[in-house]
Amino acid sequence: MPITLLQTLAATNDWRSIAPEIFLGCLGLALLGLEMLLPKKEHGVIPFAAILGQGGLLIAVLAGFHHAADGPAMKTFGGLIQHDRIGEMFRVFFLITAVLVSVLGAVALAKQRMPKTEFFAIVSVVTAAMMLLVQSNHFVMLFVALETVTVGFYILVSYTRTNPLSLEAGLKYLITGALSSGLLLFGIVLLYGVGGLNGLKGTSDSAMNFGALQNFLAQNPDNFLAAAGIVLVLAGVAFKIGAVPFQIWVPDVYQGAPTPVTAFLAVGSKAAGFAVLLTLAQVFSAYAPLVTSVLGVMAAATILFGNLAALSQGNVKRLIGLSGVSHAGYLLLGVIATLHGQVLAQGAVIFYLFGYLLASFAVFGVMTHLAGEDDADQRREHYAGLGRTHPFLAVVLAIGLGSLAGIPPLAGFMGKLLVFIVAFKARLYWLLAVAVVGVVLSIYYYFSWIREAFFEEPNDPGATRQPARTPVGLIPGLVLTLLAAASVLLGFYQGGLAGIIGLR
Amino acid sequence: MIPLTLNACIVLSAVLFAIGFLGVLIRRNTLVIYMCLELMLVASTLALVAFSRFNGTLDGNVFVFFILTVAAAEVAVGLAIIVALFRRRQTIEVEKLNALKD
Repeated sequence: MPITLLQTLAATNDWRSIAPEIFLGCLGLALLGLEMLLPKKEHGVIPFAAILGQGGLLIAVLAGFHHAADGPAMKTFGGLIQHDRIGEMFRVFFLITAVLVSVLGAVALAKQRMPKTEFFAIVSVVTAAMMLLVQSNHFVMLFVALETVTVGFYILVSYTRTNPLSLEAGLKYLITGALSSGLLLFGIVLLYGVGGLNGLKGTSDSAMNFGALQNFLAQNPDNFLAAAGIVLVLAGVAFKIGAVPFQIWVPDVYQGAPTPVTAFLAVGSKAAGFAVLLTLAQVFSAYAPLVTSVLGVMAAATILFGNLAALSQGNVKRLIGLSGVSHAGYLLLGVIATLHGQVLAQGAVIFYLFGYLLASFAVFGVMTHLAGEDDADQRREHYAGLGRTHPFLAVVLAIGLGSLAGIPPLAGFMGKLLVFIVAFKARLYWLLAVAVVGVVLSIYYYFSWIREAFFEEPNDPGATRQPARTPVGLIPGLVLTLLAAASVLLGFYQGGLAGIIGLR
Repeated sequence: MIPLTLNACIVLSAVLFAIGFLGVLIRRNTLVIYMCLELMLVASTLALVAFSRFNGTLDGNVFVFFILTVAAAEVAVGLAIIVALFRRRQTIEVEKLNALKD
């Protein structure tokens, strides 16, 4: 290979453009270093250092947001990474997620006799990988970033390694996650192979680059190998978002994982999957009929399965997991709408994800405070009488669940409305009918949870023992208040966020 | 002797991939499942090298190194989880690992 080629490639290495990711990686290492340097009794500062580092980075990224997002889309590192407005928004999204997970982690880990530093270090690294994942413009970058996220999650899910339930969840996530990686990889290989095949039109030297691949697919709109590759790649991503038929791991893993990790999986991992799906939908646009039919069947099955399975769950972690499956179904509607040329659909999906972030973390925050020693055992009966004993937690829970159910005027309602509007404009009538049935079903289980908190009393104090409730500290209390207030505000006034996302 | 063609390589790797995939679904021992998962990755690698060789592009060969690294990381974490689980439960048969339920 001529040295000049390497030189031109190296000239596009703009390290400043991935400074946030580098900072997060260094933060993870610095936390581990802090643990070694500080005496044991001062280890309490490590969670604060993690939250401070991630929060400071969030402010820095927000401050430079307009500078970075309003410029032209820029490709760096020889076309591996693309910086654009959507990538920048997901950067903010994942940083908010990281801060919230760290706050919940600090609350939950205080109840366990476990090493604590590694949790925050791995959360930082996984967040950096998610941020690179959504900005990747090349299948190698996408695969490596996705695997970094997945391997990080294997560790996080089985973090409480003295608890067999957490380990079992880790093993189940490991097997299903590795299986999905295998499917994704084989799909990538097929696309790469067919994209460089001698004798076809529009082949390219680097068929794993999204631009080159899109160009190739546009010139060969009915290639069998390419179609097989697309279906395999979609299947691999569907595992990450928990869409039917790749949702089998969701209830078990959500139940066994520590609550902050469950929140990270529910919000961060799912949003990363959808960001990838939004990018790939553009790359695969020449195969729109195939992609639409695969995703359409998947969306309908996901909405129905998620809601029907959630109806009978008594464990709230399984319930929130299965309801998250149904949310993935609603979001798929928005992704399908992008394939029908709806320019607002991407914005609608991102708005929905932000509403989902606020509502989910409000609910998970309350769950973290109610969990006892055994994190997997969180039943609905444990919430009886919460409205009387802990009115603050009960109100936050009600706002979060109401937003997830889509009750006006909360943020979740606006998110659903926007996604349904773009789906209506894209003429997805039968999918919309399924989605409306799903929403009606979901109201039942969300509200029986709220009713438990406000109108039920612990019937027999001896029979169903409620674990001791953690008192709400200053920072978690502040964060929960902010989440609930933002859910309400975003329902009334979408102007700011909608303007940034590009909904108008 | 069969000449080494692109088709032969791709069919071989597809068969290996299918064996791995079915193994994951059918086998009961976690370690064997884990070997099947690795087989899926290796099958993809074989197809990647074959495409790279016959198409005359370099990307595939380079990608193999990334896949190997990722697979090694996955094995390190995965075996650690399996060992920790075996210490707690004294079994790694999948049908006995059913404590997570509603």
